[in-house]
Amino acid sequence: MIKFEGVHKWFGKLHVLNDINLHVTSGEVVVICGPSGSGKSTLIRCVNRLEKFQKGKLWVDDVPLHDHGVNLTQLRAEISFVFQQFHLYPHMTALQNVILAPVNVRKMNKAEAADLGRETLTRVDMADKFDSYPAQLSGGQQQRVAIARGLAMSPKIMLFDEPTSALDPEMIGEVLDVMVQLADEGMTMCVVTHEMGFARQVAHRVIFMDEGELVETGQPDSFFDNPQTERAAQFISKILTH
Amino acid sequence: MMLSYFQRLIEILPFFLKGLKMTVAVAGLGLIIGTLFGFLLGILRASDKKWLTWPIGVYVALIRGTPFIVQIFIIFFILPDWGVQLDAFPAAILAMSILGAAFICEIVAGGVKAVDRGQWEAATSSGLNIIQKLRFVIVPQAMQTILPPLVGQYVLLIKDSSVVSVIGVMELTRVGWLTVVRIPEGLMVFSLVGVLYFAISYPLILLSNRMERKMSLGQVRL
Ligand SMILES: Nc1ncnc2c1ncn2[C@@H]1O[C@H](COP(=O)(O)OP(=O)(O)O)[C@@H](O)[C@H]1O
Ligand SMILES: [Mg+2]
Repeated sequence: MIKFEGVHKWFGKLHVLNDINLHVTSGEVVVICGPSGSGKSTLIRCVNRLEKFQKGKLWVDDVPLHDHGVNLTQLRAEISFVFQQFHLYPHMTALQNVILAPVNVRKMNKAEAADLGRETLTRVDMADKFDSYPAQLSGGQQQRVAIARGLAMSPKIMLFDEPTSALDPEMIGEVLDVMVQLADEGMTMCVVTHEMGFARQVAHRVIFMDEGELVETGQPDSFFDNPQTERAAQFISKILTH
Repeated sequence: MMLSYFQRLIEILPFFLKGLKMTVAVAGLGLIIGTLFGFLLGILRASDKKWLTWPIGVYVALIRGTPFIVQIFIIFFILPDWGVQLDAFPAAILAMSILGAAFICEIVAGGVKAVDRGQWEAATSSGLNIIQKLRFVIVPQAMQTILPPLVGQYVLLIKDSSVVSVIGVMELTRVGWLTVVRIPEGLMVFSLVGVLYFAISYPLILLSNRMERKMSLGQVRL
């Protein structure tokens, strides 16, 4: 589904992705963790081409992103991205947020899209907030709307960039519950997160990044309980103690 | 004495109303065209492509950095040397459009740049094309920043339109000039000119103030 082959990326002189090789198969849930600045966001942002890379090959759903002339809007319609800061459209209601892309990208008719939107919002437990504006919602509710916005496109892949890091602790659970449910339904997911409980519960694989390198990869339990590299061990001890 | 004063006023009023109509036509058309191009240029200027932003920046600096009267003279008196001969009315509208577009471009670019980068990223991620992103996500949000100064700019541009009197367009200011040399009531003539400009500007000033208040309360929903 997603295949990195020797991918390198630089921001100016900064080498942010260093020889990334990674294969994510359909239905797989991959958790990506690592210290701040290690390139996790950049890695998943390459998948829907929010970031370009300078070297290497990357296939997403068999589309070669390293080639010129890839139809990016078409590719992006198949991949949903959930941001740390939600980035809901503040001038639209929850329902309008969810149906904007189905109507304009999928060319669904409005009534059909509205049904789909209500159904999708209900799935993330936001059935009573169709007409609320983002500013009227809590962080956890906003993130669930953002997930519904992604889901409404029936994506093949969902990417999450620290989806619970901006949330008050009491709201993290409600968002993770939705994500667990998606994982159980077989969604292909790449999740940047330090939520170890989530990783242990649903991840098929945990990937550890440091300084732009993919340092270690393993089953969640063996990775967290018995890391193979010094850098991973140090990182895990840090997230355990705080 | 009073009676003849008012008689005079009544006498000249139709002439002034014609001038008002011309001012509205020149300023109105200039503002409409200037707004269209101002938005187009402003959106392009907010991009991160140097080859796009640089020439627009040069245009804006040239227009903002030179007197409007000089721009009008160039369009009306110099362009004919280059084979572009315009009557006073179209020349005035062209000049107003060029002037308006430059100022409006800066206001629009500022508004577009003020929209959070995350909004672009969210819209991009969902597969919207550039036109859809601008239309549904970016411009509606940018409008909140754009509208109050835009309306304020309209007021300034309407007043600037008085400058087109120099090439003979029969608008309010020129009507004032022509009248004042014929009759002794100079104060009355220019008061009338002022009052008529004010009659166009004041509603816009009120609108601008109202929008500014509403924006600061975050109530405006587009
Ligand atoms: N747009 C950018 N321009 C320049 N440097 C960037 C940009 N985005 C990220 N970086 C840098 O790239 C490195 C990796 O960033 P990122 O992928 O966001 O890391 P992470 O998500 O793991 O915290 C960091 O050093 C960051 O400062
Ligand atoms: Mg990050």
